[in-house]
Amino acid sequence: MEIKGKVALVTGGGNGIGEAVVKFLVNKGAKVAVVDMSQKNIDRVVADVKAMGGEAIGVLGNVTSEADTAKFIKATVEAFGQLNIVVASAGIIKDQTMLTLDKETGKVSRKMGLDKWQPVLDVNLTGTFLTIRDSSEAMVNGGWEGILVLISSINKVGQVGQMNYSSTKVADALLPKIVVGEFQMRGIKNIRCVCIAPGYTATPILAGMNQEALKAICADIHLGRLVQPEEIASGIAHCIENDAINATTLEITGGLCYKGGIAK
Amino acid sequence: MKTFTYNDMDFTVEKVGKGWEIRKGSTVVASGLYAGLADAEAEAKSIALAKTIYPVGIRIIGPDVTHPVTVGDIKYYGPDVTHPNFIYWNKDSASQPKQL
Repeated sequence: MEIKGKVALVTGGGNGIGEAVVKFLVNKGAKVAVVDMSQKNIDRVVADVKAMGGEAIGVLGNVTSEADTAKFIKATVEAFGQLNIVVASAGIIKDQTMLTLDKETGKVSRKMGLDKWQPVLDVNLTGTFLTIRDSSEAMVNGGWEGILVLISSINKVGQVGQMNYSSTKVADALLPKIVVGEFQMRGIKNIRCVCIAPGYTATPILAGMNQEALKAICADIHLGRLVQPEEIASGIAHCIENDAINATTLEITGGLCYKGGIAK
Repeated sequence: MKTFTYNDMDFTVEKVGKGWEIRKGSTVVASGLYAGLADAEAEAKSIALAKTIYPVGIRIIGPDVTHPVTVGDIKYYGPDVTHPNFIYWNKDSASQPKQL
């Protein structure tokens, strides 16, 4: 699918990978709806797109809300007349191990609470579900050529301290198989679905990390550095443009390896 | 250029270059819209879009401690369901394509 002239909607478009995707697609000639929870970030990205000479709208929205999802999809179609590309990149982390032990007694001193579990599931999984469900509905009924792009993570393999996050990301990676299978079953031929699993990417989420830990992570990346958000955006653009990429998850990690050199 | 106040917010819609721009206060909400459309049509669409992006929805104003319908100190005012831009998430979601 050619990107030029198409309409894209990017959740989590206010920073990180989402922001990079917005700008990459605008540079390729797409019209873009920027959806985010932060009005400040939306305003900044829309102003940047305007400065680039692009077309964009900014919509404040919570992806866990059905009402907000209906709003931002309706606004996108109202602004640009169609919807072709959906990148569901809204995501959060709330890291903690399931159990924490008291060093002296060896007894459990803390458990992961629902306050850390549920919001991550709500945003990363339910939010993704609602976004692709309602976007597909618009694409099917509108008869528009489309692609749904989900964002998983290399941590879908199971990262300690991220029981919540990894669970959602392995589920997100599974969804393209199910979605495309159902499209095939229902005779829906105009929409593809793919998932991108980024490795450690230079986004604001990692910027706040312990820099020594980050250096240790980079030592295990064959590329020798973090992946840049623009490199993820470029991979997404390739998936959009190559119609044969469908019902699959593409890892973009720079070559993340176990210690000793075996690629994960 | 047209300015209007909607749901206590000040908006401006204006043709900038080939496309139309929506501003909320001084902040750009949308840019490059409806290029090629007649000015009157583009202006009308821009105004409608501003109202879609900022739906009336539920406004919570409080506390109105004298009001008989209260939850603690807070009086909840329900949504203005008669407003033309009120979004019914279930209805609009299902009927959206029919509006195109």
